[in-house]
Amino acid sequence: MKLDIFLVGVGGQGILTIGELISEAAHRQSIPVNFFPSKGMAQRGGFVKAQLRLGRELVGPIIPERGADIVVAMELSESLKALRYIKANGDFVLFGECWEPTAVMLGKAPYPKTDEVKEQVIKSGARLIYLDPHLLPKYESRLVASNIYILGTLIQQTQLKQFFTADLMEEVMQSRWKRGGQANKVALHAGIRVEPEIKQISSAGVTA
Amino acid sequence: MKKLITGNEAVALGAVAAGVKAVTGYPGTPSTGTITYLLSMDLPDTHVEWSVNEKVAIDVAAGLGWGGHRVLVTTKMSGVNVAADSLVSIAHSGVDGGMVIYVADDPGVSAGMVEQDSRAYALMADMVILEPSSVKESYEMTKFAFDLSEQIQTPVFVRSVTALANSFAEVDIEPPGKVSQAEPLLVRDINRYTKAGSVIGKTQHQKIINNLEKAGQILEDIGFNKIVLSANKGGLGIITVGITAAYMDEAFEMLEQHTSVKRDEISVLNVYASLPFPEKKVRQLLAHCGTILVLEELEPHLEKNVYVEAQKTGFNGKIVGKLDKTLSRIGEYGVEQIVRGTAAALGLDFPEELLKGMSSGEAYAADRPITVCAGCPHRGTYMAIIDALRRLRLKKSEVMVTGDIGCTILGMNPPYDIIWNEISMGASVSLAQGYVYAGVKTPVIATIGDSTFFHGGIPGLINAIQHDVNMTLIIMDNRWTAMTGMQENPGTSKKYQGEGYVEVDIARIVPALGVTQYFEMDPFNYRESSEILQKALKLPGVKVVLARGECAIQVVRHNEVEKIVRVIDENCNQCKLCIMVTGCAALSLGNGTVLVDEALCTGCGLCVAVCNRNAMELIDREN
Repeated sequence: MKLDIFLVGVGGQGILTIGELISEAAHRQSIPVNFFPSKGMAQRGGFVKAQLRLGRELVGPIIPERGADIVVAMELSESLKALRYIKANGDFVLFGECWEPTAVMLGKAPYPKTDEVKEQVIKSGARLIYLDPHLLPKYESRLVASNIYILGTLIQQTQLKQFFTADLMEEVMQSRWKRGGQANKVALHAGIRVEPEIKQISSAGVTA
Repeated sequence: MKKLITGNEAVALGAVAAGVKAVTGYPGTPSTGTITYLLSMDLPDTHVEWSVNEKVAIDVAAGLGWGGHRVLVTTKMSGVNVAADSLVSIAHSGVDGGMVIYVADDPGVSAGMVEQDSRAYALMADMVILEPSSVKESYEMTKFAFDLSEQIQTPVFVRSVTALANSFAEVDIEPPGKVSQAEPLLVRDINRYTKAGSVIGKTQHQKIINNLEKAGQILEDIGFNKIVLSANKGGLGIITVGITAAYMDEAFEMLEQHTSVKRDEISVLNVYASLPFPEKKVRQLLAHCGTILVLEELEPHLEKNVYVEAQKTGFNGKIVGKLDKTLSRIGEYGVEQIVRGTAAALGLDFPEELLKGMSSGEAYAADRPITVCAGCPHRGTYMAIIDALRRLRLKKSEVMVTGDIGCTILGMNPPYDIIWNEISMGASVSLAQGYVYAGVKTPVIATIGDSTFFHGGIPGLINAIQHDVNMTLIIMDNRWTAMTGMQENPGTSKKYQGEGYVEVDIARIVPALGVTQYFEMDPFNYRESSEILQKALKLPGVKVVLARGECAIQVVRHNEVEKIVRVIDENCNQCKLCIMVTGCAALSLGNGTVLVDEALCTGCGLCVAVCNRNAMELIDREN
């Protein structure tokens, strides 16, 4: 089975780590994988994207426009740059966190509103899976890692469910990080349990 | 053993499997990962180094190649330009030990530099260039390149592109090859190792042409470039070059689904080496097909040779590619280009909406100019330049500040908007000299980073000193080659370079060159830095200011953050001056006051110096 995932966010959010964990999980299951992270010149706070292709032996690293089965977007404004890659009926997982550039903070430049972005995603024909960043849970009084939380949602709410189990993801995380095991487990399972806002255009209009 | 590795790492492991004795190179996206990976490995018999620049790297490598040992050089596309003088010369002399030059091009310009097709160097120097289409092939072809180089006694290129160099995929890895401990060859042969005279030069030129021809025969014999002809003559023949082969399956799934195209009616030639030109294979394809489609990223190097072959063989069908304007010389190729090219070659209509996604939403996206990190010493230098100009009553728009490669260029963006240009490693210094001669009346300033200064800035400074140019050079020394991911350079502290390395101090080099107006400034001391720059800008002749402060990323990694900024809420009226002047990512707007992100703040204190309401202070960080 083939599955293409396009990931966008900004440097520092851990978006590339999501791709690395899925790649490692695929590697362990002998599923062919090509993972192409692209940081460009981005320092912390710069635009980051990555392309993950599962299930093809011979595959180029670049996902064509309208070719992604899943988009994972961790930053509200940057998510708009992934719209051209999502398939009609693809799963568009949007974590609505905002990292405002300085010009926005100073009131010199506009920043899209959450509803505007959601509307654009629905317009693209994708199935919007929206995660409210304010619902991110805490573990031992600190917010859990949002990227691991999103990974939980990915393996619960999207087509990735057919590829990977929570147990496998936990194993992959355990061999990657010696510390923080419990916090990551909490994050993953919170992401699995959360009920995101899901919307898509059907023939009868937008459905929840 | 099967491993998940990047294309860059595959090159590293291919070289290790080939028993490479030394690896040299200079960091540069997208090629950096090869040496980074080798430096993380335990390779007791292999010398691995970040060299001061790519020309030095290739010269070191030639010493090994001439000494009969296997050697790898790694570089980004721009680095080949730096090494080109030696590259062509070494190629004409030939090598005994296998010498492989790994170059990674950046079609689509993901990392910001010239969109250059380095295959042109293979054309110029009559060298073999191998072009893998996958991570797995990057491994296999690198290993093979050492054998081929020894067979034809000429250095061989392995050329990758960003999408491949940085992609992770699974590769079956062999154990490391044995590194030769043979005594070095010491052959005194001026006909081969010098360029002195017409006979020598012409003989060497003929030899490399012969060697390339020999390589062509070897590649033909082993079936390096792959051809599959369709059952019937007269149909379409597609030539892929390098990575474009990887998108064929996917493109033809799409074409077969939406058009009447049948893949088995199409002949395909996968070229994995543009040079030596695969003449026999191309002739086979021309003889079999009525139409040819050439799929190669960037420049139409192979395509032009196909036209030549068509002329020589009397082929009178259509050749589709860049030269008939169907495909572009700009950017990366993928499924879209194969579909468009095939549709054009066969005269089919392919629905545009299947190739293009929804882009209208992108107009809503906020601009996100790249900038320096929280705690970056360069921020202090930009701020000091801006403040010095203001106090000298000079307009930013009238003062030329030349820029250079690396993090130091980030001053081109808001809120600083102070750097004007960027050409190549070290160019800032001489570019400033040129602006002086162009007649700029205001002070001319050049800015350069430490690694860039070592790499290519020193000759420019010597030139400026000799010609007594009225300019100010600011060396922004953060002690690391930072933008490419924190490599060591000659100026990196001995503490981090470790045993067997000698630290080279810019503070000793500059005065030793004869610069009498030499200043040092602490970029985190805003007022004093501005005063030093004001003083320097008023003096005649060459002034050099060394602005030294360690890269913030490294300070954090080494747990050396001691202070943090605290906002005194009752004094802060959210005037935003600190954000406007510093543009620091650790500052944001809270409820009525400015907020400091404790995870980001390194306590550099620049915002404290800017605040005129006494609303910020430095306190000890609790660890």
